[in-house]
Amino acid sequence: MEILKISKEDFNSFIDEKRTASAPLEGPGDSISGHAEKWKTIGVVKKGANFVFAELNSAAELCLDYDVTVLPPKKYFLPPKETLLKFIPKKAESYAAVNHPGPIALIGVHHYDLAAIHLMDRAFSEGERDEHYMKRRENSVLIGIYPTKHYKYRFSSSVIRGQFRKAADIMLVAMNGFFVVEILTEKGKNYLQGAELQENDFSLADIEAAANKIKDDQKIPLPIELVPEFLEKNHDHSAWDYFGGKCFSCASCVLVCPTCYCFDVRDEVDLTLEAGKRVRTWDSCMLEDFALTGEGFNFRAGRGARFRHRIYRKGKHLFEKYGYFGCVGCGRCAGSCTAGIAGPVKVLKYMLEHKQ
Amino acid sequence: MDKERGNTQKKRNSSLYLPEVATLINKREMTPDDSFFEFQLKNRSLGHLPGQFAEISVPGIGEAPISISSPPSKSRKFEMVIRRVGSVTGALHALKVGDSAGIRGPFGAAFPMAALKGRNLLFISGGIGLVPARSAILYALEHRQDYKDIIILFGCREPAQRLFTDALAQWQKREDIIFHESVDRTNGAPWHGNVGVITTLLPKLGKVNPVDTYAIVVGPPVMYKYVIMGLHDMDFSDDHIILSLERRMKCGVGKCGHCQMNDKYVCRDGPVFNYDRIKHLQEAI
Repeated sequence: MEILKISKEDFNSFIDEKRTASAPLEGPGDSISGHAEKWKTIGVVKKGANFVFAELNSAAELCLDYDVTVLPPKKYFLPPKETLLKFIPKKAESYAAVNHPGPIALIGVHHYDLAAIHLMDRAFSEGERDEHYMKRRENSVLIGIYPTKHYKYRFSSSVIRGQFRKAADIMLVAMNGFFVVEILTEKGKNYLQGAELQENDFSLADIEAAANKIKDDQKIPLPIELVPEFLEKNHDHSAWDYFGGKCFSCASCVLVCPTCYCFDVRDEVDLTLEAGKRVRTWDSCMLEDFALTGEGFNFRAGRGARFRHRIYRKGKHLFEKYGYFGCVGCGRCAGSCTAGIAGPVKVLKYMLEHKQ
Repeated sequence: MDKERGNTQKKRNSSLYLPEVATLINKREMTPDDSFFEFQLKNRSLGHLPGQFAEISVPGIGEAPISISSPPSKSRKFEMVIRRVGSVTGALHALKVGDSAGIRGPFGAAFPMAALKGRNLLFISGGIGLVPARSAILYALEHRQDYKDIIILFGCREPAQRLFTDALAQWQKREDIIFHESVDRTNGAPWHGNVGVITTLLPKLGKVNPVDTYAIVVGPPVMYKYVIMGLHDMDFSDDHIILSLERRMKCGVGKCGHCQMNDKYVCRDGPVFNYDRIKHLQEAI
């Protein structure tokens, strides 16, 4: 839509104002109760030696010059644990949906995490629309930023294209004490009302160069378009035994993945036994009982088969279904894997080097 | 052959996970582990098609996917046979007539009963596989003139595990049905029928025209491979074999990932599949 700029100080004071402001009625907000709510402002902050997405107490905490966050921002739309329904135990008449997310702004989301959110948007809106996820998304403003720091496991350039712009409301490019602000949606424009935006005087070429300043060390060893067929032909590749033999089935790779959205649903009852809730929690296809039925049939009992399923889901199934590669190349799985084997780059390289 | 789908759950603004209330109006034990349940929805009929399933829940215990065993014609009532295997099914078994449960659905692709009009139907049901198959069998019997021969084969582990024994006795007697039954072993119970796995019934059928007959196969996972081999021996082509598969399920709508088999979601792309469409999937059979 339009390209402007803002000084980093002005950006921070604007965010601090916004943190205590009410969200507009017509935009994000609680349309059921009809009154505006305060923005919940989330940003990237430093935590020990790492970076995380967390609620800001002050814009001064923002660390937008970061390599990668421990967890992707997915947790704000598909929380690790969320209440879907409330009920009184044993009384089916009492089931009531719980779904009133407040307005939320996320600041400093890297482009690969935005691409992942776009993929999740597709998954939760298609077919039976999942209002728990979708309402959170509708009540959110996503302010993206192009990475300014290197991360050794990142390979996003080889797996994502421009789809991240479909999730972002605003994209920032860090330049000499300023952010170049690209406003992509009406929602983004509304959010920035009142900010000290200035006319942009950086050349498009300089902006482009700054946005693409950080080059990945790693890349997927074949064009993504060829990956589905390559996987299809290699269902019985020795890689699955090899990696299955090393995998601890700890599910770290899935926990940190921005495009993993499989979930479990279960009931929890208060100690009083007078109230309960049906909760949704993150789940993982890498865990042994993920495909275990009540009668005891396990349809993916082997670790190699589970490892293969995760790679196929990213490289084939989601790609074929939504038109976007199911992995956005953040590298978190490679960085968090106990056995050092989870990264798709490593897996595909191994498969190419050990042809059957 | 296109999948058939019933009325999907009405759109809800609040949550697709919000169940409706169903009242238990009839219940009886069928085997020590399996009980028959008849439910009624408050304001509508379930609107399912043969072969679909629903998510049934007990608040405080949880939710489970259960096949619907009645044909769609029963108006606001529908039937299920539930095997007690875990906490949710255990809580369902503890329900009394008049109690209520949560229902979401119907979900999934149904048996293509309309497309099978004018054909012979060969039902092959193993154990609790008779439950989903029954919805299609009863539908076919209600529309008897629409189909040519109706052949029903039923097998289970031992006589004590036979389900719908009244219906089995009726089918045995009916002259417009070919019915054969077997048990894997008698386990000491009085039994005068066939003993052996279900595929031992196939040779009893003599000549079945494989071009004009569709096999509808539902049973435990181990059964499919052997039944398909038997059907191939009878010259059935893969597109004349229709299967209903079981998987772990949570959401019922193709999102939670538990039932995924290669790229297919069994809850949404199935549970009914034409074998021709899934035979290339390594995780299917």
